[in-house]
Formats: sequence, structure tokens, C-alpha cells
Amino acid sequence: MDPVATITAAVGTAAALMMVTRRNPVYSAVWLLITFLSVAVAFLHLSATFLAAIHVLVYTGAILVLFVFVIMLLNLQEDELGDEHPLPVRALTAIGATALFGLLVAPILATPEFAAPLPPAPEGFGSVESVGMMLFTKFALPFELVSVLIIVAMFGSLILARKRPLGSDT
Amino acid sequence: MTTYLVFASALFAIGAYGVLGRRNLLIMLMSLELMLNGVNVALVAFSRGLPGGSEQGQIFVLMVMAVAAAEVAVGLAIVIAVFRNRRTVDTSDLAGLSG
Repeated sequence: MDPVATITAAVGTAAALMMVTRRNPVYSAVWLLITFLSVAVAFLHLSATFLAAIHVLVYTGAILVLFVFVIMLLNLQEDELGDEHPLPVRALTAIGATALFGLLVAPILATPEFAAPLPPAPEGFGSVESVGMMLFTKFALPFELVSVLIIVAMFGSLILARKRPLGSDT
Repeated sequence: MTTYLVFASALFAIGAYGVLGRRNLLIMLMSLELMLNGVNVALVAFSRGLPGGSEQGQIFVLMVMAVAAAEVAVGLAIVIAVFRNRRTVDTSDLAGLSG
């Protein structure tokens, strides 16, 4: 048992549990931040240094800020938060999620190869250089297509969040 | 590596609970992010720990991150549009299409 891995996983899982059970989205966002940071630590520990940096930049720097920004913009009052599902429904969902967890974990624990200690990473594994080299050669096409996706998403969200429908102001 | 794979499964399952068991649109979107994060952890763990694993798994994670960012932008725009029209973020109040 690797103590770093165990602590990271425990902190991340606990924060994720706190996140889904908070009623107010602001608290959820803060707990989500802790989960994201522990995922970044997991990436670092798995020698994906570049990804860990990108993860912190994208998830905590962009996505979570966007969430907090929208929460601030909506300025939800207590009565606007809405009701939750009744307790039996939530309990049933929790049981279903636990079953899903068991289903996923059973084959992982049954595979002895996964429990073996990690071999030392090759020189430069997960560095900007090696990931970038692969990204710009073998995966150049998907990389370029992602830019199209992001442009589409940008226009889509601009149009969706407009106050007036398109064309009404001309 | 087992620890991280279990961690990934836990994130995925907790995210699934959040998407199915909550009614607040914002928290459902956050849970969706949680599920994607679980998948990312599993991909990175496999790319590092499997014999013959390479950085291709990390490229996949980069793609997932880009898609997640796009998805969150569109999703939050929808949340804003819905809230502006209906003054609610409760998915059970948004049943206008159910017969």
C-alpha cells in the first residue's frame, strides 16, 4: 500500500461524497475543488506531470471558476434551490451507485497485475516534450478537431445565454 | 495502481449518484465532471502502470478535458437560459415535455 496513493484517494473520495450531498451548490463547488486537486496529485504521482499542470489549469482554473461564476450570477435564494428527491428515491440511487462501484472494483481487485508495484517510469515519461511530440504527430488530427469543437461550443453557449433571441434586436 | 483504479471507480460511482439522485442542475453538472475525472484517473493509471503502456492514455485525457470544458460551457449556458425563463434549477420542475 502506497501511503501517497491511499491518502490522495481517501481525500478525493471523501470530498466527492461531500460534494454530492451538499444542498447549496457553493459548498459543492468548494468540495469539488478539493477533489480536483487530489486528482491532480494522483496525476503527479502517476508521473503525468504535464497532465497534472493542465488539469489544475483547466479544471480548477477554468471549469470551477465558470461554475462559481454562474452560481454567483444566478444568486440562488434558499427557496429557489428546489426540493430534493424523497429519501427512498435517494437511498435507492445510493444503493445503485454502490452496486456500480462494486461492479467496477471487483475485476480490479481480482487482477493481480494491478497490485504489482509500478516499474520505474521511462526517462521523460509524461513530460511536456514527450506528450507534445505525440500530440503533434500521431494525434495531430484529433488535436485540430478539438479546436473546431471548442469554437462550436463557444458560439453555442454565447447564443444560448443571450438575453434576447437571435434577430430580435435588428 | 490498484488504489488509483479504486479511486477512479469511486469517483465514477459518486458522480453517477449525483447525476441520478440530485435535482439541482448545477450539482448534476458538477457530478458529470466528477465522472469524467474518474475516467481520466483510470486512463492515466493504465497508461503508467500497464506493461507496454504509453503516453497515448494521457493524450486521451487531454481530449476528455477539452470535451469537458466545452460541455461545461454549453451546459452552464443552458442552466442560465433555463433559470432566466423558469426561475428554477430543479430538474423536476422542468417537465414541460412530459405528457
